[in-house]
Amino acid sequence: MTQMPAIKPNPHYRKSALRDRMWKYRYHYLLFIPVLVVTFLFYYLPIGGIRFSFFRYTPFSPPSWVGWANFERLLFQRPAFWTAFNNTLILSLSNLALSMICSVVLSLLLNEVSTRWVKRSLQTVVYLPHFLSWVVVAAIFTIILAPGNNPATSGLINAYLLKWGIVQKPIYFLADSKWWTPVYLFISRWKETGWGTVIFLATLTSISPDLYEAAQIDGAGRWRQMLNVTLPALANTFVVVLILNLSKVMNLFESVLVLQNARVERATEVIQTYVYHTALTAQSAEYGYPTAVGLFRSLISSVLVISCNFASKKINGRGIL
Amino acid sequence: MKKSARFLSLALAAILMLAMFAPIAAAETAKPETISFFIDTVYGSMMLESTFQPVVDKFKELTGITIKFIKPEHSVYYDQLNLSFASGEIPDLMELGSTNYPTYATSGALADITEIWENSALKASGVVDEQYVDALKIDGKLYGFPLAMGNGTITYVRQDWLDNLGMATPTNYDEFVEMLRAFTEDDPDGNGVDDTFGITAPGLINGETPYDIYLREFYQDAKPDFYQVDGVWVDGMQQPQMVDALYRLRDVYEKGYMDAEVITNNTSAAREKFYAGQVGTFNYWAGNWNVTIENNTTKNFPNAKVSPLPAIAGLYIERPPLALAISAACANPEGVFEYLLSYAYDGGEGQTLFTRGIEGINYELVDGEYKQKVDPENEGKLFEKVIGAPDLAFTTWADPVKLDQRVIDSKAMFMANRTFDPVPPATDVWKDNIAEVIAIRKEAIALAVTDSATTPEQAIANYVAEAQPFIDAILADLNK
Repeated sequence: MTQMPAIKPNPHYRKSALRDRMWKYRYHYLLFIPVLVVTFLFYYLPIGGIRFSFFRYTPFSPPSWVGWANFERLLFQRPAFWTAFNNTLILSLSNLALSMICSVVLSLLLNEVSTRWVKRSLQTVVYLPHFLSWVVVAAIFTIILAPGNNPATSGLINAYLLKWGIVQKPIYFLADSKWWTPVYLFISRWKETGWGTVIFLATLTSISPDLYEAAQIDGAGRWRQMLNVTLPALANTFVVVLILNLSKVMNLFESVLVLQNARVERATEVIQTYVYHTALTAQSAEYGYPTAVGLFRSLISSVLVISCNFASKKINGRGIL
Repeated sequence: MKKSARFLSLALAAILMLAMFAPIAAAETAKPETISFFIDTVYGSMMLESTFQPVVDKFKELTGITIKFIKPEHSVYYDQLNLSFASGEIPDLMELGSTNYPTYATSGALADITEIWENSALKASGVVDEQYVDALKIDGKLYGFPLAMGNGTITYVRQDWLDNLGMATPTNYDEFVEMLRAFTEDDPDGNGVDDTFGITAPGLINGETPYDIYLREFYQDAKPDFYQVDGVWVDGMQQPQMVDALYRLRDVYEKGYMDAEVITNNTSAAREKFYAGQVGTFNYWAGNWNVTIENNTTKNFPNAKVSPLPAIAGLYIERPPLALAISAACANPEGVFEYLLSYAYDGGEGQTLFTRGIEGINYELVDGEYKQKVDPENEGKLFEKVIGAPDLAFTTWADPVKLDQRVIDSKAMFMANRTFDPVPPATDVWKDNIAEVIAIRKEAIALAVTDSATTPEQAIANYVAEAQPFIDAILADLNK
């Protein structure tokens, strides 16, 4: 066994334990410096931009202080903001709930497949949609769900609904606010459920076979084994995934934007698309108000994550933050 | 008397001296060493090297001035331009569209070039069609020079379908709707299958001004925007003619003559449906696009023929020209105008350089006739333009290359049937409220046309109920 060289304390420093450790691992710290610099430059320094939420700010003139005016505007003068806020919560939380349920169920089903190549093939097939961009996914579903002027130009779904006599007129799924939300949630699940199984499948494969063996000896069938062994083993992973996903609840953007259109834009607006429409596509280069909206969004996100972590500590005895 | 005569003679001598030096001073506008130029285009980033660099080299050879083109991707052009202002790296010259030009101008980002233009040799030469310069004036002041004519859209029809059905070109709204009906119900392509319809569009309302540039046959005298009536700003959505326009649109939509997916269409989807032979009528850009549309359609249907229609009810709209604007931060706006813009739009060799490019690289003499060469960036396509499109020149420039006859005809038809759309306003109140109005307006029009449960009157009433605070703020500001 190789003998570790004796640590030579630096005579120029006081002999505190921390400094000794830092001196000992000085090359590790040196290697870490680029990461620290990049993190500071690209993650922490831009946080300073939140000050613009208190300014009227265009790129063409120095920012002018407006105090809380931008927040007053979004909280009290813009009903569209509250629609966007509600939509964000409804869509995200529905998506989150469905995502957790569908991913766990699909993981359990995949885990039951005993033939190795079949399991691998199925995994690949369900992962694939995740790698399609939202623009492509939106184009695919726009074609599939198209109402069409005649049978030849109708999308697949409307063609069959008409053929089987379920509807008399084609349904304009993506332009009808009644249909838009269920369709959006379905498309999201189609795209992301497979990918959501990755972490759960990893956990499932790490469950000790001894536990299942013991359950079998105790007379537990497949259903009991799942309830008493598999699901408890998934609980911690479930909480971690839930908290990680909760931090992204307010980040809905691209998936909604690409499926919006003139008729449902206001009914389906979420906070990020609202910022996009008011800051980037409107005839304005004023960034103070959109920054205020963004700051408000970040605060809500933080509250959600901290609350969930607190709940996790209460229920599970530990959180992840 | 003697004293005053001496004083008078001295004064006259001084005036004469000044008069002698004045033209020299005017002619000696300081020459800029470099000109940074932010330019937008739908072409790819390769264009900087393949198209612009030879022109940059040639211009430097002629004038000693280096042009530094900055060409962000089309989709992030304004993000990058705003970023350049925010970071203090402000370009000398920039291209601005009709929506952003007034925003930049009223924000103090642009140099006021009214005096420079008025006193310029370019204006004095008379080569410029000044209506395009005047179209860019905001409150009588000029902040940009036209990049090209504004251009606009024109309605294209499958002429071979009309011929198959034995129909004449429609000359009024009723005949137009009858044509749409026949394209939908009478099997215009003769394939025995119900697989065609009358008209498509990329949405019921355009994403930027002019909002009513498509579907002109239906909007006619209605305008879904703010505009002036006898000097007073009004909201076009609340004018009586808007209800009639919405009923016209609703009628053809309900009957199935209009694309059932018109709301979810973007421009490429609408174009593809025309190319695929699903639809017989489509409103799109006049001029060069006439050739592109026909070429793409004949790839699928070799006997297809595409014809532009004369305006039958409402005139076509020419949008405000794209502007080439000198920034307020530019150290030498006179120099940029005199040495670059005046040369690029001189109606002669300068305009040929900045439009057609360089002989031998972008065009060549073949059998005594100038022809376009292949675009170095797009193999298989002919080189189209450097900055301004040749068919959209607004000077007396004589293009050395002969344009395709279809481009000439389409542009002539457009010019004979078009009206100018003004530069939109851009006050602070406007900027703060217009996004909300546009969103509510788009929804109202979509519901009025495609939702059988909402009549146009109800849709407009809902629009007024929801958008009134924003509309009131805008109108009060514009009319003060």
